[in-house]
Amino acid sequence: MKHPARVAAILAGVCVLAFAVVLAVNVGNDPSEEARTSELFGKAAPAFDLPTLDGSRVTLDGLVGKVVVVNFWNTWCAPCQEEHPALKRFYARHQNDADFAMVGIVRDDTRAAVRKWVAAEDIGWTIAIDPDSLAALDFGTRGQPETYVISPGGQIVASKFGAATVPELETMLATGRRS
Amino acid sequence: MARRWAPWLALGLLVVAVVVVAAWPSSSGSDAQRIRALEHEFKCPECQGLSVADSEAPTSKAIRTDIRARIAAGQSDAQIRQAYIDRYGESILLKPQQDGLGLVVWVLPVLALGLGATGIVFAMQRARREPRLHPTEADEDLVARARTR
Repeated sequence: MKHPARVAAILAGVCVLAFAVVLAVNVGNDPSEEARTSELFGKAAPAFDLPTLDGSRVTLDGLVGKVVVVNFWNTWCAPCQEEHPALKRFYARHQNDADFAMVGIVRDDTRAAVRKWVAAEDIGWTIAIDPDSLAALDFGTRGQPETYVISPGGQIVASKFGAATVPELETMLATGRRS
Repeated sequence: MARRWAPWLALGLLVVAVVVVAAWPSSSGSDAQRIRALEHEFKCPECQGLSVADSEAPTSKAIRTDIRARIAAGQSDAQIRQAYIDRYGESILLKPQQDGLGLVVWVLPVLALGLGATGIVFAMQRARREPRLHPTEADEDLVARARTR
């Protein structure tokens, strides 16, 4: 080899360039954007079997055939409190729909606080408690509130990270009904 | 001849060592070590740049409990890692995975550094062998005259 130093410099340059390309490609993948998209989108919803506030249990299997709106929340979470009027309006519109079910899953809160909140807010939908937040982890939640819509066939077809509005909930429900 | 190829051999060994270290599966330690390692490996999903080990967020606490339960249930580190990637995507990992594109991210900077260092070594050797400035006859004459003074 006549100019080994030059060859090594060129190869090093190629490596630096390749690294720059890899970085540039990944800079386009905004992690916060990625965080707004559920990895479970289009996949089977995680099965859950949770105790409800009224002492019974709610399972995903028991809701097959319906569009299920699952809302993860806590009473101490300010965005959840802001979201609740929208959830109440949305639920009031659809509570008598035969193909509709709504489950609020409490991620990390005391039963007493939840019971007090539900009574004060006159919440009609099923409220389930998630011991150890395992259902929240199964759904890949990143905080609260988060809302998922499960199609009658059991697939996650829509999700919303953060407080959902009534129009957003309606759009998600319509997506679930089309699926 | 051997001296001429020695830097290339060293470079080859460096590349092989980097690839082997990067691709070697993580060794399995005690349960406590595995728990600690996985907690530091996962990013708190509701924080900015904090590991699950360093965060007191509810999701991090839940993940810590879940890691312990999964290890107690006999799951391997790879199975636990994959379970979280399935739910949260690759972004749950604080460091890129050491395979596929992730391996490129680990290897390329080291390779560039190794090649750069090799280039410098070659350049220095060459500079030592071949002085950059060759005295002309006029230079030699000037030095000779200066010496005779």
